[in-house]
Amino acid sequence: MTAAGFIVKNALRNKRRALLSVSSVAASLFLLVTLQVALRELTLPQEGAGAALRVAARSKISIANFLPARQRPIIENIPGVEAVTPFTWFGGEYKNEGAMSFAQFAIEPKAMRKVFVEARMHADAWDALEKEKKGCILGKITADKYHLQVGDRFTLVSTIFPGELEFKVVGIYSGTPDDRNMFFRHDYLDDSIGYPGLVGMWWLKVKSAADMPRVIDTINKDFANTSAEVRAESERAFQLGFISMWGNIKVLIASISTVVVFTLVLVSASTMSMAIRERFRELAILKALGFRRRELFAFILAESFGLAAAGALLGIGGAYCLYTYGDISKMTHGIFVSFEVTPRIIGAGALVAAGLGIIAAIAPSIAVAKMSVVNGLKTLD
Amino acid sequence: MALPLTYNFRNVFVRWRATVATVLGVALVVAVYVLVQALAVGLEKSASNTGDPRNVMIVRKGSTAESSSQVSRVQFQTIEFLPQIARDEKGRPLVSADVVVLISLPRRDSNGEANVTMRGITPIGMKLRPQVKLVAGSWFTPGKRQVVVSAKMAERFANFQPGDKFKTGGHELTVAGQFDGGNSAFDSEVWMDADEARALFDRENYSSVLARVTSPAAARDLMQRIDSDRRLPLHGDLEVKYYSEQTATAMPIKILGNFLATAMSIGAIFAAMNTMYASVGSRTREIGTLRVLGFRRRTILASFIIEGAILAAIGGVLGCLLSLPLDGYSTGTMNFNTFSEVVFQFRITPWLATKGIIFAIVVGVVGSLLPAIRAARLPVIVALKAV
Amino acid sequence: MAADNIVTIRNLSKIYAQGEIQVTALNNISLDIAVAEFLALMGPSGSGKSTLLHIIAGIDRPTSGGCRVQNVDVTKLNESELADWRNQNVGFIFQTFNLIPVLTAAENVELPLLLTQLSRAQRHKQVETALELVGLADRAKHLPRQLSGGQEQRVAIARALVTDPQLIVADEPTGNLDSHSAQEVLGVLQALRRDAGKTVILVTHDPKAAAFGTRTIHLEKGELLNDNSV
Repeated sequence: MTAAGFIVKNALRNKRRALLSVSSVAASLFLLVTLQVALRELTLPQEGAGAALRVAARSKISIANFLPARQRPIIENIPGVEAVTPFTWFGGEYKNEGAMSFAQFAIEPKAMRKVFVEARMHADAWDALEKEKKGCILGKITADKYHLQVGDRFTLVSTIFPGELEFKVVGIYSGTPDDRNMFFRHDYLDDSIGYPGLVGMWWLKVKSAADMPRVIDTINKDFANTSAEVRAESERAFQLGFISMWGNIKVLIASISTVVVFTLVLVSASTMSMAIRERFRELAILKALGFRRRELFAFILAESFGLAAAGALLGIGGAYCLYTYGDISKMTHGIFVSFEVTPRIIGAGALVAAGLGIIAAIAPSIAVAKMSVVNGLKTLD
Repeated sequence: MALPLTYNFRNVFVRWRATVATVLGVALVVAVYVLVQALAVGLEKSASNTGDPRNVMIVRKGSTAESSSQVSRVQFQTIEFLPQIARDEKGRPLVSADVVVLISLPRRDSNGEANVTMRGITPIGMKLRPQVKLVAGSWFTPGKRQVVVSAKMAERFANFQPGDKFKTGGHELTVAGQFDGGNSAFDSEVWMDADEARALFDRENYSSVLARVTSPAAARDLMQRIDSDRRLPLHGDLEVKYYSEQTATAMPIKILGNFLATAMSIGAIFAAMNTMYASVGSRTREIGTLRVLGFRRRTILASFIIEGAILAAIGGVLGCLLSLPLDGYSTGTMNFNTFSEVVFQFRITPWLATKGIIFAIVVGVVGSLLPAIRAARLPVIVALKAV
Repeated sequence: MAADNIVTIRNLSKIYAQGEIQVTALNNISLDIAVAEFLALMGPSGSGKSTLLHIIAGIDRPTSGGCRVQNVDVTKLNESELADWRNQNVGFIFQTFNLIPVLTAAENVELPLLLTQLSRAQRHKQVETALELVGLADRAKHLPRQLSGGQEQRVAIARALVTDPQLIVADEPTGNLDSHSAQEVLGVLQALRRDAGKTVILVTHDPKAAAFGTRTIHLEKGELLNDNSV
């Protein structure tokens, strides 16, 4: 029998306790990983392939404020701008259902197809949208969720604009980081609400990365001191600005994670300590047989690490498999589109598990060091 | 008769060294649960605490927030002199049309920007909202580009002290004073003069109309009158009802709280199970003795489950105590209804604390079930022989 | 025997499986125990004496044969009935005392009474009486860890007496005691038989302890050897 074999046999002597220890560690690590991934997803915006060359321009007052449509030609004429489309939040609900879980935006198709480069669709879809006034294109996730296909019609009631609008699906897109949105024609919106000439914001594509800073600057300057001042920024900056509106979410999740880690360490360490304390009699016997203290420490540490490692494998590995191979948007009802378990997060989890292995071994190690053989043999547990 | 409760209590306390980690674990789980739910409760309380029961709020049909609602001047004039609306001593109708605009302002600790609800309000509108009181500086003077801000918002946003200035809509506004909204939705607002706001933000229409009615029956009449009028695409609600329904933000927080608590409780259940198994293991001979004396298996089962419940309940109470210091602590997040910053407090109600303790007890019972069954099933003679 | 028999055992056998091996603990035992006897069961380790005691006391079942105690066939009672029966009719004394560590001496003695219909006042009265009988009334509020081994065992005897059972069984009651305390305990058991008319069955491997009894029987490998009546 090898030392490793002895350690394994020991750990498994009380199978139930070993299982409980491992499960406890696994459950807590699973939760920790989940929280870290959620935090990362919420604070790191997903970037589409074309994001590096895109600019978002909104009213300087706030994103909820409208901009006049007459700004469009001015922006189009700025050198370096390839295409600019209006981008207006519709805020629609299904007639009977209440809040819909996807966003709808009014856009201009000719420009949109040049800006929204990463959308993969049937070749005719953009053309169809240009031809069909009531047409709309729908992200694949939403299309699947509501069982909508090209040719289907549905009606939406806006919470912002008056009236109901009927739409016809002319295309379904995929391949973007967020395949949930719906886009329809701005002129259709203009007609129905009776006051054309207002847009939510501008979404534009620049010709090259070098053009971007200058374009942004120009837009901001062009409309400064007008009645409709604009704040233009890169798409990335825009998304980050959105996220900062959530405020303290990072702090919240970080503190919860800390509490989780602390609880985990506490609970699992005590569980494993109890398991190891059961071993006192054997450790006393080993000591009487001549094993040195450091060899006993090694046994304790090995068992403790072994349990922690098993828990880590189960918990972190389980999270990884679930989130990598599972259907994320189905599981979270569309709240999250992706849930990536990065190597960094896995590493953090492993570190916690390792720390746990050490902490759980501390108390028993101290006790073993202090223990006299006689007392150890007397221990009845 | 069953085993006395003192027996169970003493067993929990006599092994406190082994059980303290589990109790702390349960305490932390309950604390997290209570704190996250306290956020949701705080949000709901501030929403439901808003408004005067004698007021009716009128917005465009279908809109979910004042900021996205439009009421035209013509529509306002149609409503203004309706008989159900109360009059003041001079005979003027107690009705006010507000302009609500979202403006993006920098946070205090340079954490980026957030949307703030700016309400352009009339003197009558201020009278209709008696829960709002001035606490610093003075009310704004119309025409002087002045605003008053919520004192609670001033804690979170830059340039919100009396005398400070900030820029929006191409103009500089001065903070004339701060108000206290009485723990309501108004604590998340900035107020200025309605006409000035319309000019500043280029608004032709109002956002909402608030009317004081003569009686509860008049309120019903008024709302029905508005709903049934085909010329008016408007909808009326009791002001208190309108605000108390704006709790969409609370829902994801509740879901988060429940998810966290469930996930953490799995770890806590394992810990409780482990503790109880150890407890059973160390009292095997005792169990055998009790059986010899004539105590039934189900009594033993109940006894251990009760012990698990007591253990967990102690953790639950501890968890509630741990979270108590945050009761009343002010915080803010984005309101999903209004798309702007909402300030509210953690609110730990007695019911919430009770829920936390019940939750803890459930954890304790589930965790001690298997060990208790094991204890009850021990054959008497085997138990007696235990070391 | 002319005296009434409190225990009648006929052809009692107990076989249990230990892994794949069948072990015969008791082999076709027949035995009568009279009222107010102080019977000592002696034998080497593994002789089956404890097994016999357990069956008489109703905490184990035979594989075959009958055992009647006070005209009740204990082999035919189910778990619940046995529990009730034990509570009322048997007082058990263990080698390891088996007092509940978190309960005081008085509370330990009260335990069997919790299963009866007696009121609180009545229970307390009986506890007081039992503790006085063993001379430990002044230690009523002490916890087991505050008592000496001999005192613990006397509390255990009080507990065994408190429901006034006819039968007292003791499994190596002096095994963990020093000789002085052992003498004390055995003396109490003797007095119970002599003064209160209880029937005492004592399992022991110590001839000196067995000498306190009125009769000694020997077991070896599950069988009765001789019957040494006094």
